[in-house]
Amino acid sequence: MATTTASFTLSSSDILSQAISLSTTATLYKGGTTATGLEQMNYHRAIIPTGTSFDLIEESDALKDNSNYVYIINKNTAAADYVTISINEEVIGSLYGGDWMFIPWSCDLSAAANDSTIEIQAFTAPNTIEYALFHVGETLVTSADS
Amino acid sequence: MATTTATITLSSGDIADNRFSVSNTSTLTNVGTDTGMTKTTGLSRLELSAITKIVLFGAGGSTDSTPGTGTGLAINKGRFYIKNLNDRGDGTKFVKLMMDDFEIGRLYGGDWAFYPWDGGSGSDLEVKPSSTTDTTLEYIMFYE
Repeated sequence: MATTTASFTLSSSDILSQAISLSTTATLYKGGTTATGLEQMNYHRAIIPTGTSFDLIEESDALKDNSNYVYIINKNTAAADYVTISINEEVIGSLYGGDWMFIPWSCDLSAAANDSTIEIQAFTAPNTIEYALFHVGETLVTSADS
Repeated sequence: MATTTATITLSSGDIADNRFSVSNTSTLTNVGTDTGMTKTTGLSRLELSAITKIVLFGAGGSTDSTPGTGTGLAINKGRFYIKNLNDRGDGTKFVKLMMDDFEIGRLYGGDWAFYPWDGGSGSDLEVKPSSTTDTTLEYIMFYE
């Protein structure tokens, strides 16, 4: 097993009359275990062209109904450039230049085919993103010429 | 405008051959601008003890801004943080993080999430515990 941590700090000195600050750290474990760390990771960098919704992280049997964690950041610097992140044909939210997100992803296969796939679409300009998937398994494809 | 920052650090000494570490900070701004968000729901704490779906924020900014009933806040283009404050325990209990009845992911004890939420028709932001064990959540929304 591996030990991977995800730390988060949120702070503002002026959104309320008093400063707010919160911090937390989670260790990324496999679902259904007390303390067995996830030991597989994919890390990607991609340029997403505009005009089409793409599958970013595809659902699979190896991932389903367990603990997977997804991190996505939009590396564009223009504030107006953005991508939308969708699951199950619904937009969760938009990542503008510099924005990031971190979610657990259970890869729920109980719905229709491809409904758990995480999709992305770029707007305004091609958007450079980096994304990581910390996961419980991967469905490997048998070589066509094996 | 206000200045609110969110920082993530992902770190592991042994998930790869070399140490892996990624850290980034984003400033929470209004849509398509450098203007800082000025609205927040404030930090909320919620205790659940039933396997029942709860709407934390209703889509479209019309209703269900508070668990169960809601009185309506116009929340669009939000930035949402949530954490399951329970201990991990035996690792079998979690809270489903959902949108419009669909399971996005599972927050086990100690897990957290931070992500943008655009709202819009049918995109209710919901949670549902997997057991009747008392579960405590904290969450906050920043929005335009």
